[in-house]
Amino acid sequence: MNVRDRWSGLFFLAFSIFVCVEGIGMDVGTFHVPGPGFLPFWSGVVFGIFSIILVGRSILSKPGEGKMKNLWKGTNWGRVIMVLASLFIYAIFLQGLGYLLATFGLMALMFGMMGKTRWWVRVITAAITVVATYMIFYAWLDVQLPKGIFGF
Amino acid sequence: MNLLCCFLGTLMGTLVGVLPGIGPIGAISILLPATFRMEPISAIIMLAGIYYGAMYGGSTTSILVNIPGEAASVVTCLDGYEMAKQGRAGPALGIAAFGSFIAGTLGIIGLMIFAAPLAKFALKFGPPEYFGVIVLGLTLLMYLSHGSMLKALMMGALGLILSSVGLDHIHGTPRMTFDLLQLWDGIDMVPLAMGVFGISEILINSEESGTPEILKTKIKNLFPSLSDWAQSKGPILRGSVLGFFLGILPGGGAVISSFVSYGLEKRISKEPGKFGKGAIEGVAGPESANNSATAGAFVPLFTLGIPANAVMALLFGALVIHGMRPGPFLIKDHPDLFWGIISSMYIGNVMLLVLNLPLIPLWVQVLKIPYRILFPLILLFCIIGAYSLKNGVFEVLLMFIFGGVGYLFRKFDYEPAPLLLAFVLGPMFESNLRQSLTLSRGSFSIFFNRPISAVAIVLAIILLVTSFIPYIAKAREKIEE
Repeated sequence: MNVRDRWSGLFFLAFSIFVCVEGIGMDVGTFHVPGPGFLPFWSGVVFGIFSIILVGRSILSKPGEGKMKNLWKGTNWGRVIMVLASLFIYAIFLQGLGYLLATFGLMALMFGMMGKTRWWVRVITAAITVVATYMIFYAWLDVQLPKGIFGF
Repeated sequence: MNLLCCFLGTLMGTLVGVLPGIGPIGAISILLPATFRMEPISAIIMLAGIYYGAMYGGSTTSILVNIPGEAASVVTCLDGYEMAKQGRAGPALGIAAFGSFIAGTLGIIGLMIFAAPLAKFALKFGPPEYFGVIVLGLTLLMYLSHGSMLKALMMGALGLILSSVGLDHIHGTPRMTFDLLQLWDGIDMVPLAMGVFGISEILINSEESGTPEILKTKIKNLFPSLSDWAQSKGPILRGSVLGFFLGILPGGGAVISSFVSYGLEKRISKEPGKFGKGAIEGVAGPESANNSATAGAFVPLFTLGIPANAVMALLFGALVIHGMRPGPFLIKDHPDLFWGIISSMYIGNVMLLVLNLPLIPLWVQVLKIPYRILFPLILLFCIIGAYSLKNGVFEVLLMFIFGGVGYLFRKFDYEPAPLLLAFVLGPMFESNLRQSLTLSRGSFSIFFNRPISAVAIVLAIILLVTSFIPYIAKAREKIEE
């Protein structure tokens, strides 16, 4: 049984049901006069049918195929979670702290997470990177970047 | 200014082509917001340069590292790396660059010849014809995508669902906006593309560390010998023609054409046994085909307004953002854009030849940049790009969410390219479907009463049905292997 396909198929099936319900709520309309929910509803139906086929096929597949534990075998999955978590925390604080501070923190963390480097090398590289991009994008190209509560 | 943009585009294209990991889709989606303040022609010239530049650069890593810089150079590894191991890295790199130049130039000539008549023909298209061609394009892309066809179809359906988020264009009803004002305009293509292609790439690479091992070989004799030329001229010409026409096909493109060219050369060769053991034809054919295909892929975009593949979907988005409507009127309304891009492609091909041959030692050095430096920088460009879209954090957050989702897609073997193409074509798909049904009073026969849409839809149905016939499905998997 392909466990990976089964779980992803079940998740997508639940999602397709949600989309269909949303589509009905928007008014599907008729084939003659399609409503706003026409595309979401029918895409949801098709998506749901494909998900059921995937789940069915995964149950009929050879035992031992697509094991969940093989997904992260030999990989540093902890680092992936750390990177992803840092990105979300960054997005939450970006507006409040401003581009310079928030991005400096993120870069210092990223340079450290992606490989072993001394802390001061990380700090200097992050500072140079953030200031350089600020000069290029904000000062030169006039791209608006968040200033934050400190005004920079 | 346009020359500078062309140079920057081809330079960046070569760079992303050389660097394994980030391909032209990722690079264009990351750089798209940076072009917002540029003149539309300059912006499109630069973005197009990234696409065909990546085809040139991709061969370098395939030949020297045995890791394809981007998907269209996968097949070059087979014989290119073998040639490098035999001390013939120079001729392999040389023929890849010359072949790409010849094929790229022939492809542009093809684009000039075919685009204008096709655009005139496309004026006869109504909603059913557009719907038929879009369905065929989506089906072809799914059929030719890597991995499971079923999963590709699921990604296509998901792309359509995501494209429907936002206000309904006809009734103005909010759809799946969850009371978030930011979603009323729909999901923007840039955070979606940067998330599923850029951020997910960073996450995949954060699993491992280190840099690829480069073959320690002296690169000499970049100019192929006369016997190399004699062996390569056929594959280059065949690859150019094949690549161009496969590039035109919706769903086709550089990746498919390189594989088909390799298969063709092996089949017609008097010594098929030497393929995979350092045959120069195995480098010349695919490298020519993938370059020619990039020019071919512009044909449906400029004439029908239908992107043939995920990269063209991004260029479609770029044209729309810059206030132009890709389709039959594009050449007539914006001849400066069309001819500007054509001329830039001629010049770009010359620039690429100059960039690739004498500067190969430099590109080899670029390969040594560690991921720990490279990926935080890519991340930073993604963040600035997403933020600058609407000067808000919402797009950045959305990009990270799609990054996480894209990472899981890769882990669970779902290919994101059909999702992106369906997402971009979604609004066109919906409006043409709804208009056709309204015209026919709800009858689907309208799609079969008109010859163009009938042929397109019947072809799509045949592809769908055959892909689920066990014998054909197995053959398809075998080809992919």
